[in-house]
Amino acid sequence: MPAPVRAFFISSLQVLVLAAALIALIFLAIRPDPNHYFAGSRLQLELLKNTRSPRIILVGGSNVSFGLDAELMQRTLGIPVINDGLHAGLGIAPLRELEEYLRPGDIVIISLEYNMFSYKNIMEGDRAFLSDWIEYSPRRIRYLSDPWSEIPAIYATMLQRKVNREVNRFLFGGSLDETRSVFIGTKYNANGDFVGHLEAESTRPRKIPSVPYLAPTLQNDIFIFLDRFDQAARRKGAQVYFEPPASRRTNCEITGAQVMARFFNTFRKKLSIPMLTPLDEVCMPDKYFFDTPYHLNAQGRQLRTQRLIENWIQITASSK
Amino acid sequence: MLFNSAAFLIFFPVVTTAYFLLPHRFRWMLLLAASCYFYMAFIPQYVLILAVTITVDYFAGLGLEKFEGAKKRWVLIASILTNIGMLAFFKYFNFANENLAALADFIGWNYPIHSLSIILPIGLSFHTFQSLSYTIEVYRGHQKAERHFGYLALYVMYYPQLVAGPIERPQNVLHQLHEEHHFDYPRVTDGLKRMAWGMFKKVVVADRMVQFVNPVYSDPTSFAGPALVLATLAFAIQIYCDFSGYSDIALGSAQVMGVRLMKNFDHPYFARSISEFWRRWHISLSTWFRDYVYIPLGGNRVSKPRWAFNLFLTFVISGLWHGANWTYIIWGALHGLYFVLSALTEPFWQRLSALMRLDQLPRLKASLAMLTTFSLVTFAWIFFRAASLSDALYITRHLISGWPSYLAQSWNTFVQGVQTTTQPGWYSIVNALFTILEPLTTESRAVLGLTAFALIILLVIEILQYRGNLLEQLNQQPVFLRRVVYASLLAAILILGTSYASVQQAFIYFQF
Repeated sequence: MPAPVRAFFISSLQVLVLAAALIALIFLAIRPDPNHYFAGSRLQLELLKNTRSPRIILVGGSNVSFGLDAELMQRTLGIPVINDGLHAGLGIAPLRELEEYLRPGDIVIISLEYNMFSYKNIMEGDRAFLSDWIEYSPRRIRYLSDPWSEIPAIYATMLQRKVNREVNRFLFGGSLDETRSVFIGTKYNANGDFVGHLEAESTRPRKIPSVPYLAPTLQNDIFIFLDRFDQAARRKGAQVYFEPPASRRTNCEITGAQVMARFFNTFRKKLSIPMLTPLDEVCMPDKYFFDTPYHLNAQGRQLRTQRLIENWIQITASSK
Repeated sequence: MLFNSAAFLIFFPVVTTAYFLLPHRFRWMLLLAASCYFYMAFIPQYVLILAVTITVDYFAGLGLEKFEGAKKRWVLIASILTNIGMLAFFKYFNFANENLAALADFIGWNYPIHSLSIILPIGLSFHTFQSLSYTIEVYRGHQKAERHFGYLALYVMYYPQLVAGPIERPQNVLHQLHEEHHFDYPRVTDGLKRMAWGMFKKVVVADRMVQFVNPVYSDPTSFAGPALVLATLAFAIQIYCDFSGYSDIALGSAQVMGVRLMKNFDHPYFARSISEFWRRWHISLSTWFRDYVYIPLGGNRVSKPRWAFNLFLTFVISGLWHGANWTYIIWGALHGLYFVLSALTEPFWQRLSALMRLDQLPRLKASLAMLTTFSLVTFAWIFFRAASLSDALYITRHLISGWPSYLAQSWNTFVQGVQTTTQPGWYSIVNALFTILEPLTTESRAVLGLTAFALIILLVIEILQYRGNLLEQLNQQPVFLRRVVYASLLAAILILGTSYASVQQAFIYFQF
């Protein structure tokens, strides 16, 4: 190898090693934030690994995390219940994670937010949220649609979000915007339910966007995914149910009865997964929601959980 | 292919390594194939446009050398018509058609021609002008016709400058493409350093500015003066860092392979007059217009009114070159007006400066001149960036609205912050400063903090570059220090850059 080329490779290598060391130092020095809302996913993962079967697992976005009471269900039904709901921004990745931990006798109640049925990019998850989620368990990268091609972008995003978080902490002692106010990672109960919003202050009503839940046309990929998930669960001896997400009356009305009905009909037509709550019961008064069209307050959460328990008992009794 | 894409991170080292490994006689093939691949990553079929213009200009070049007199002139005209025809069809047809339709509607005529649904080929204006400069220079006898079709194709399509310039002249580049370039350690590393700095400007600074610019410019009527001013200032930074960043990557990547492209930017925001600004901003385009439009029109060897007209017209055409929209035409016209007025009023400014004894305070005088030039240029950017003429006019009319209440509110917030500084870490003051920014942007404080940090780095480096050859000074430092500086630059691109984290921002000038 000619001398200039050798010198170039040596100096380039030195620069790259130094840059990598610098990046690694920053990466390792900034630990996952225990106050981040997603920190609860560590507890949920432990519950998935260690809770004995048969058990009920509630999974979906924040409508599950905020709006279902696994502790109450466990008390009422007498079997272990895990709340594995976290954030709609993660798309279907948490479902892929759950699939790995399913065991015979498990009952999965999926409650995916409506927007995942409308847009494919939402179903695949948002890179920023996914990188935060993966930070708490690096092996989660395997639950992305195309893990290998996503690795550089996910880790670069994670690095940037770590730095952003530290800058924020340095300036204000807080963490990222989305983890402020009630979204605190330490506010989960032993069943994986998020309980930070149950305190009076956090449920103070805020302006909730009056947007439709569903686009007029539904995307097919999510139905294909759910069908595959159902089949995989059956193979493992688990049963899958679907519970419509928490639905605010104003947003239901803006979406339109026809569009809502089309969703329920399409779901029943394309999938053999039983639906727990019927369409006419699904929309709840606005007073039970506190900051988004999916986030129930304490009263709404209790009402929805009781309704789910009743529907669950009814459906399982009729199937016997 | 975007320079700031993961694909380019593979493309560039592969092509460069192959370039140095191949015998010289095969290198043009490699570069031409690589350039085709680079261009076809956007819309593959548009490579045919390049094929047509290159073929026409190849034969035009041969004809221009062969013929004399009227025949020679006709060959040039044919080449110009082909090149401008392509540009006119793809870029200006719909604009002209829509304006004609509006005019017909105004006078009550039934206008039958509909607009076409066509996507503007990437970098069309750039490679058309580069191709044109070849035939014009051959016509003028400054350049010999290129007999090797492959080399002419490579001159037009050379990937570092294919889609956003610099718009080269054949005298500068063609012979360099023919020459054999060996691996030269200082040249290669200097090229890479230039690329890294260009990448920093693009992904760390320009793309960070997007978050301040786009929300306001997509819906300007929802914002008052302070937000409009911040967004416009942010756009001035964005477009500079975006375009000069692109040019640095282009120059750097060509430099690695031994081709020295012309400098396109020279710290334009430090210019003390509009004429100086245009000697520092998009130099390859302004010299193109100077050599091929302004001077043929008569330049400054004509009467003063005619000179003013020539200058104004050149700037209007330059505005139109940027885009088929009235906003670009007005942007060009504004610069033409600035240029003409500043030249005509120069004696007045000199007298005023003497009267105010500013000559005795050269630094203050220079700073005032820079500030004035920057303000004028930034004001004109409103027309460049606005989505429509009505948006641009709204912004210009509301730039000064809402300031009294905003300033009063900000002052109160700041005073409150100062009064409560007993808390550790200057929390109250920092909190007050960020609270002041809240009505202007929805970005988080961490993002604002990192953006400020990136801007400080940019400003320091720009000042150091302006004062002397920073790279040369850096090359004289101890090896370890240099390695640390370059490693930090790479790390900063990854940590502070936005390209990998979110949707990639294409370079602004790609649309031209």
